[in-house]
Amino acid sequence: MMAEPIDETMVIAWVDGELAPAEAARVEQAVAADPVLRDLAEAHRAMRARFAAAFRPIADEPVALPSAEVVSFAEARAKRMRRLWVPGAIAASLVVGLFVGEMERPTGMRDRADALALAPPLAHALDTQLSGTAGPVRVALSFRAQDGAYCRSFSATHLDGVACRTGDGWALRYAAPTAVPGGDYAQAGSDPARASAIAAMIAGEPLDAAGERAARDRGWR
Amino acid sequence: MDAFETALVRVLPRLRRFAHGLTRDPADADDLTQRAAERALKARAQWQAGTNFDAWAYRILRNLWIDTTRHRQRRDKVIAPAEQAENVGAPGDAEAAAERLFLMRAMDRLPDEQREAVALVMIEGLSYAEAAQVLEVPEGTLTSRLVRGRQALAKLLSGGE
Repeated sequence: MMAEPIDETMVIAWVDGELAPAEAARVEQAVAADPVLRDLAEAHRAMRARFAAAFRPIADEPVALPSAEVVSFAEARAKRMRRLWVPGAIAASLVVGLFVGEMERPTGMRDRADALALAPPLAHALDTQLSGTAGPVRVALSFRAQDGAYCRSFSATHLDGVACRTGDGWALRYAAPTAVPGGDYAQAGSDPARASAIAAMIAGEPLDAAGERAARDRGWR
Repeated sequence: MDAFETALVRVLPRLRRFAHGLTRDPADADDLTQRAAERALKARAQWQAGTNFDAWAYRILRNLWIDTTRHRQRRDKVIAPAEQAENVGAPGDAEAAAERLFLMRAMDRLPDEQREAVALVMIEGLSYAEAAQVLEVPEGTLTSRLVRGRQALAKLLSGGE
């Protein structure tokens, strides 16, 4: 059986290392014997090397993973979902759960303006902790609301929420039970309802690391 | 970070390089890379362990780019000249950036299907089988697109039309 003549496709495949050993040997012999094929092979080899070299530096630069909160937030914004925040009564019942363990008070919310104020350990974490820091409370994202207040989205042991700065404390603006209580992969911000709540509240873009640090150092005012 | 995120972080720099080959614009490439990473995280449930993770990630980025270009065409949006964007955040020294820009302008002249084949094999170094898997075409189709793309590029780069 006659072997097929060697065409440019085969030369390119040979340059790319795509041929089986027997076929590669055949092309190699032909290239060695024929100056036209040799020039063709050399041109394709040089071009491949040129492209690879020109683009290689890009792949040497690390790229950070987007935070889950940003993912979730972007998704919500893309869908243009404008869901309202969890009604106060539901949020309040969740906060009660949070208070009970710590304060051993009877359940039930008092009818007061600060009824949705957060428990001191949580408020302290929101005061001081930067996004992404590990701990019992994890802050995923900070941003400015349309009314100018600083707000932060967080995950605590039993509660995922968004709290905004009011006066000297933090008021809960959105809350849901933590998806996996105490779990190590209760991924911050995987809750689409929370991302929608943020999308409805936020003015502009979330704070970057420098902006967040500056806001914290000013006491979130 | 879990195994999925580790694999994603490992492939992201290469995805960004592929994005440069597809978009031929550094700003578009960075934007596309971030969106692909976001989509991969959202779609992690669809990733099947044991299958080629890199091919899956490349495919997500490539499909996003197809959606983007369709969307742009639909809105008839004028794409900003890439020459202006090349100065922003391009890695490497000016000479390397100029060389890359020159090659990107050559790639502009290729049909989309030839450009993506060229980018996957000549820039990303994928095998024909892997590139065909990313593009979801038979290997023979990949090969013919690749050969036509390379013939056109060889002509362009040697000063011909």
